[in-house]
Amino acid sequence: MRIRIILILCVCCLIPATAKADEIASLASQVRELTQLVKDLKLTVDQQQREITGLKQINELKSQAPAAPAVPIYQQPRPNKPFLEVGAVADVALKLDSPKVDQGGADRVSVRELELVLGSNVDPYSRLDATVAFNEQNTAELEEAYLTRFGLPLDLTVRIGRFKPRIGKDLALHRDSLDTVDEPLVIQRYFGEEGVNKSGVDVTKLIDIPSLMVHQLTVGVLEGGTGEGGTAFGSTKRRPTLYTHLKNYLDITDMTNLEIGVSDAIGSRDEDVTFEVNILGLDVTLIHYLNPNQSIKLQSEVFYQNRTESFTISEIPEGSGRFFKNDLDGTLWGGYELFDFRFNSQWALGFRFDDVELVDNPVTNPNKGDIGYSGYLTFYQSEFARWRVQFSHFDLATGKDDNQVLIQGTFAIGDHKHKLQ
Amino acid sequence: MFNKLKRLSLLMVFFISAARLLYAAAAPLKVVATQTLYADIVRQIGKEKVEVKSVASPKFNVHFIQPKPSDVRNVAHADLVVYTGLDLEEWWGPLVEAAGRPEFFPGREKSVDLSRGIRLLKVPDHPLSRAEGDIHLFGNPHYVMNPENAKIMAETILEKLKEVDLPNTSYYEENERAFISRLDAKMAQWKELCSHCAGQEIVAYHDEVVYLADFLGIKNEQFLEPKPGIPPTPKHMEFLEKYLKENNVHVITTPTYFPKSSADVLAAKTGAKAVTLAMNVGELPGTEDIFGFFDYDVKTLSEVLK
Repeated sequence: MRIRIILILCVCCLIPATAKADEIASLASQVRELTQLVKDLKLTVDQQQREITGLKQINELKSQAPAAPAVPIYQQPRPNKPFLEVGAVADVALKLDSPKVDQGGADRVSVRELELVLGSNVDPYSRLDATVAFNEQNTAELEEAYLTRFGLPLDLTVRIGRFKPRIGKDLALHRDSLDTVDEPLVIQRYFGEEGVNKSGVDVTKLIDIPSLMVHQLTVGVLEGGTGEGGTAFGSTKRRPTLYTHLKNYLDITDMTNLEIGVSDAIGSRDEDVTFEVNILGLDVTLIHYLNPNQSIKLQSEVFYQNRTESFTISEIPEGSGRFFKNDLDGTLWGGYELFDFRFNSQWALGFRFDDVELVDNPVTNPNKGDIGYSGYLTFYQSEFARWRVQFSHFDLATGKDDNQVLIQGTFAIGDHKHKLQ
Repeated sequence: MFNKLKRLSLLMVFFISAARLLYAAAAPLKVVATQTLYADIVRQIGKEKVEVKSVASPKFNVHFIQPKPSDVRNVAHADLVVYTGLDLEEWWGPLVEAAGRPEFFPGREKSVDLSRGIRLLKVPDHPLSRAEGDIHLFGNPHYVMNPENAKIMAETILEKLKEVDLPNTSYYEENERAFISRLDAKMAQWKELCSHCAGQEIVAYHDEVVYLADFLGIKNEQFLEPKPGIPPTPKHMEFLEKYLKENNVHVITTPTYFPKSSADVLAAKTGAKAVTLAMNVGELPGTEDIFGFFDYDVKTLSEVLK
């Protein structure tokens, strides 16, 4: 009986202990599960936190800049060209001259000019171009600095600043774009040794008329005066020069085109307000491509001057036999004809004939002008380097002859794009 | 009396405006493309809804085009312009400026830069210098020579046509699908026709066929030009003569606009064949559209590389 009682007591004592152990085990299991759950939840929260952060960043980026257009295909990153286009053109010349008295620049190699060319769009509507020329005299000259405004009403394009006026063909070109080493005599004598760069404003418009030809009209006003050595206008800047140019272009065939231009420029010879000088210009250019590497170019320009100033013939000094040149009927003309044959992708040869009546140079024969004959050979070393040799014979109004051999090297570096003429 | 006149003038203004609107709606979209191949893709997608003109004649080297006043007029009157992008057509900027249309400046809303999305070859990995010749800043720009790129160009053109001429979206999409489908079929044919070309090597005049060579698996690492844009020199020709002989190269290619004399001289010395490849649509007979153009070039290479 005692034993039974003891056993019952033992069982009674053991049962709660076993139950407690099971409960503890169950609780431990629950704790483990809960711990795991918390860990999982933590991971989930972390993951979601990261996603939220990422979404926030994307939203921030979206609010900062417009979304880039979807590029469905592989797009590789590319370097960007700098905003400012910068280039330089060096013009080196060797001049062998026949006069015994050196007038400077003869019989030596000289860097005639180093042009620094800058340009860039200012905004969606305008562009700024500038050319600064450095020469051997260690002087810098602002050749061009002008703003071009596009997209104006009536599709007008306006230039304002200092630029080369669109009068004729060669006057609008930079020296490195010429077919010859020097400018034609008519340009040198009337407008200046290197043409004209003047401050002003001009307006250009393509004329929409039903025609096989393309017509472009330019009207401009410039400060008065000419380039260095020019005699067409006086030196007073406040008396402006007004000019207009009508370009007429025709594609005769795919390989042949013709351009005929008419120009008119009126300006002042002195300080009074009258426009005594009226210059009428006619230019004709015919280009025929024999094939992609061979072409023939025929170009001619004539300028006719009507000057209403008074003229007198006087002998200076008396008895010297030298007269002050003038033109009795107040008219003068000058022009040139150019033939250029690109006979190879790298070689071209050509010939230029000049004839120009002078405005007021002292001459022994008042009816005689300067006449020039120039032949040249050009070697295009590469797209950026060119060599040219030219022989010129001048029959001058002074009664003297001059022979010149010119060797020119033109080298371009950087960004240098020629404007369309 | 005055009121009658007023009504009459208002009516006239209304009719004139309506006529102009109707004309504008019916008039085809005027597109100017720099090259004939681009013009052809625009034509394939736009068909009669577009009037396309190109600037560079395929007879001339696209690097050195001198735009004419007639090109200026075409651009001035265009609704959309399409160009290569990169730095191939340096004359394009001055042309757009001369036309006075700022909306056609590169990157603007009515200009289509076809280089977008193109995988470029020969992208420089070092600072550039002109001592390396007329080298291109962004990589080789002659991507027109790979027909796979025509698919990307077509997609770019389609997107812009849809943007500027929304009412004809489905028309353009349908034409583009037909174009791509035909192009896919032709590309398979071209690859099959020149399957034996893969792994062989050619020498080209300039580095303008590298994209076509890439498409056909042809090796093209040597050129008649010693540097891009620099004409062949005797020293380089001597090197090439040795190279062709040592590497068993039998084919020299030139476009129509470069002198063929150097290729002929080298071919005569080495026994290789000098062939002319078209570089653009319309350059040679039979290349009047993009399919004829690639037909001609792939067939020529296939025959000469047999």
